[in-house]
Amino acid sequence: MDQLIQENKLSKEEIFETLNQFITEVIGEEFVEEMDITPASSFTKDLEMDSIEIVAFSEKVKNHFGPNIDFTGWLSNMDLDEIIQLKLENIINYIQECQ
Amino acid sequence: MPVINLPNVRMHVQELNPEGQETIIMVHGMFSNLAVYYFNIAPMLAKHFRVVLFDMKGHGMSEKVQTGYDLTSMTNDLRDLMDTLGIDKAHLAGYSYGGLVALKMATRFPERVGKLAIIEGPDPSEQEVLAIIDTYSKEFLIHYIENFADTTRLLAGKRQLEKNHRMYEFLFNETSIRSDMEGEKNFFNDPSVATIQHETLLIYGEESNCVPSGRTLASRIPNATLVLAPGDHNVPVQQPEVVGKELEKFLEPASLPVG
Repeated sequence: MDQLIQENKLSKEEIFETLNQFITEVIGEEFVEEMDITPASSFTKDLEMDSIEIVAFSEKVKNHFGPNIDFTGWLSNMDLDEIIQLKLENIINYIQECQ
Repeated sequence: MPVINLPNVRMHVQELNPEGQETIIMVHGMFSNLAVYYFNIAPMLAKHFRVVLFDMKGHGMSEKVQTGYDLTSMTNDLRDLMDTLGIDKAHLAGYSYGGLVALKMATRFPERVGKLAIIEGPDPSEQEVLAIIDTYSKEFLIHYIENFADTTRLLAGKRQLEKNHRMYEFLFNETSIRSDMEGEKNFFNDPSVATIQHETLLIYGEESNCVPSGRTLASRIPNATLVLAPGDHNVPVQQPEVVGKELEKFLEPASLPVG
């Protein structure tokens, strides 16, 4: 039983890899090559994502991780400053909590 | 990514709470995209409604087309979107030029519009309107410079600036957007505006140069209420909570579940 639950849960590294892939798809490989994406990367400052790119990213998160993860709802509780500060690791933690 | 084929354009559409009984369609302004609603205002309304957001042609992730930025073509697109999604009637909310699209919809297809909410719809006869739009675009770029100037990743910072620059270059130099907007100069004086019977909410920023436009609409549309919110033309970005609550309050009575 425990084993089964363990198998379904993704590790932080696995989530990071998936999110990294989504970011590459959204902003394009040529730009990603010049960046060092880490869990500490912030969306607006480090990754330079604008709002429509974050929309595209959230859609990918929703489609991939399923309805248990209300990513847009989670974001909508933040104000602009919090979204500007948002780091990849915040999203990784959120997804892990929802699993 | 849901990009759907309409007769004249490939359009990027996002839906929240598709099971909602009543639908509200939200129209963004020029040089913007659906993200202006997506993170705050749309989720608030999605508690009660099916919310449909879309990127106008040439904007966001919709198809880049060269012509058809006038209000008739824009409302044809919106009607086609409603047909394609199987929506007979919807409440409409529009911001800035999107507000004019919503108004035009109410004059052309009154039976397909429920309530009407206009946020910062500018009177296109005012010489200042294009100036406001120019200021708006400059602010848009300044926003990025302010947010990213302190980063050492100058190369990446350039990406957003260049992306925005490309959008303005495209819309101003490769499309009919300017002349199409010029052609709508007399829209507020069009007799059809004064015949709008829909319950109408006008939300304007109290510091905005567009407040006189709001007053003009309030005097012409019989069933209109003007609300001033703290902020300027960018009020949906500055005060999404306030704008969202005003929209909720305005739309909710008809939609309260019966029984």
